Amino acid sequence: MTPEPAHAPPRLSSPRGIQSVETEREGAHAPPTESKETPPLPFLLDFFPLEGEKHTRLSPFFDSLRKGRLTTTRCEKDDLWHWPPRVVCPRCHSDDLRWSDLPMTGRVYAFSAVLAGAPLGMEAEVPFVVGLVDLDGVPLRLFGRIAGTAWDRCRVGLAVTVEPFDLPDGRVFYRFRAPA
Amino acid sequence: MTERREVALVGGATTRWGVREATWSELAQEVGGALFRAMPELKAGDVDSLFLGAAEPERFAFQSHVAPLCAEQMGLTPHRIIQRTELACASGQSAIRSAYAAIASGLSDIAVAVGVEKMNLPSMAEANSAMACVMDRAWDGAHGATAPPFFAMVAQRHMLEHGTTEDALAAVSEKNHRFANANPSAQFYTKTFDRAKIQRLPLVAPPLRLGDCSSMTDGAAAVVLVSNALARRYTDTPVLLRGSGQYSDFHNLAHAGSLTDWVGLKHAARQAYEMAGVGPKDIDFAEVHDCFTISEIVEYESLGFCGPGEGGRYVLEGRSDLGGEVVVNPRGGLLGCGHPLGATGIGQAVEVFEQFSGRSPASRRVPDPRWALVHNLSGSANVHSVMIYEGAAA
Repeated sequence: MTPEPAHAPPRLSSPRGIQSVETEREGAHAPPTESKETPPLPFLLDFFPLEGEKHTRLSPFFDSLRKGRLTTTRCEKDDLWHWPPRVVCPRCHSDDLRWSDLPMTGRVYAFSAVLAGAPLGMEAEVPFVVGLVDLDGVPLRLFGRIAGTAWDRCRVGLAVTVEPFDLPDGRVFYRFRAPA
Repeated sequence: MTERREVALVGGATTRWGVREATWSELAQEVGGALFRAMPELKAGDVDSLFLGAAEPERFAFQSHVAPLCAEQMGLTPHRIIQRTELACASGQSAIRSAYAAIASGLSDIAVAVGVEKMNLPSMAEANSAMACVMDRAWDGAHGATAPPFFAMVAQRHMLEHGTTEDALAAVSEKNHRFANANPSAQFYTKTFDRAKIQRLPLVAPPLRLGDCSSMTDGAAAVVLVSNALARRYTDTPVLLRGSGQYSDFHNLAHAGSLTDWVGLKHAARQAYEMAGVGPKDIDFAEVHDCFTISEIVEYESLGFCGPGEGGRYVLEGRSDLGGEVVVNPRGGLLGCGHPLGATGIGQAVEVFEQFSGRSPASRRVPDPRWALVHNLSGSANVHSVMIYEGAAA
């Protein structure tokens, strides 16, 4: 395609290739922490959400995830499971929502893989598998990374589990994992 | 309902599309030059309004407030309405729809709808990040969701549910690239592809290969829309905008439903057909959003050109080719022309004007068209925009 830029993207610091960023991205407002091996991705190129209660009203989601539980909000009035978790119900517009645990198992509805054209910070992870997974027992189909399988061994209907994982800067995220 | 004025498409122009040795602003200048050369009757001072389709100039060109920048580059001083429309891959048709609404209501008489996008960057990983933040960035983009894996899942389910083959996908690509070989502004004007070659290209997001995917493209296009009372001032072959519909039913991929039943497109198409007073059987040619080969196949079905699940057979039987029932993407489509997001919908409208003017090269000219349909989708096929045009009888 086009030649490499003069300013090459920052080198990746972890096997997963997720860029190191300042914890909670306190950024300009926090005193500088000890120097890191690699510069962080600029905030506007960092895909992962800010997780702390200063930044998001969904911080309980990330607190639970850190304890190994995938959760989301429910509107009891509408008997509606939300995804992603919300602060206002899209149906009745109430903000009286409850956190509920989601099942940690599901089955692949559809999948593909990224073999080329990955976003900045994910190039080292190529090839990776992504898919839509029907969680067991709830009416939710979540999109996510599927670890633990090559794309040509994955299949529709495969049983997978939900797996929280740590980002190098202390944040946490989730993915699916295929059986070994 | 209040009386709506009739709105006519009276001309248009495009730049050369591809990996261009030109900046965003230079593309805007190029399309201004091309437009005024193509329409000598058009005076810059007569253009009262400018609608700019631009998907991600902040990401791709580090530039905001792009509508007045574009006006200046094109040599225009809009004095009624100036605005940018952003609807990712459908930003262009969105600009045309806004121009239509302005003219139909009497707020504007003569409007330019233009699309400009510069997508090829020194760092293509940054460009890919821009594409991934079209998705719900924090919940889908963070997993690495971009368009190719999403449409690959559509293809996987369509194959599973309807027996659609890789050969059918390649047939879409072959047809649209063949048309692009007769379109000098197309990104793949000089590159030839046949079905066997397409099926040997590398996989990008299985089952989709390189030839199943539209490209990252730099390019611009512009059209002029006027109140129909003024149309003959500019052309002998005005094209009337008869129907327009849109539908947005989800954004996060968790709500993408079956993947193969594009409910939103059916709704948008129904609005446009009803407004125009026609149906799928009346359409002579269609410019549809073939961002991926599978998209065109699902679009045949959702637009009513064939039944559910029959899209693969429809293309294999030549029913979307010249001589078939509806000539689909005679311009070369997104697959052959490239897909400079905000410019795509405008480029499709330029093709509509040129087909009705009878000036298209013979190898991709639709014989005596009366009705044309244009479709843009955006994001993960979660928004659909459809327009129907009628050639004004000579």
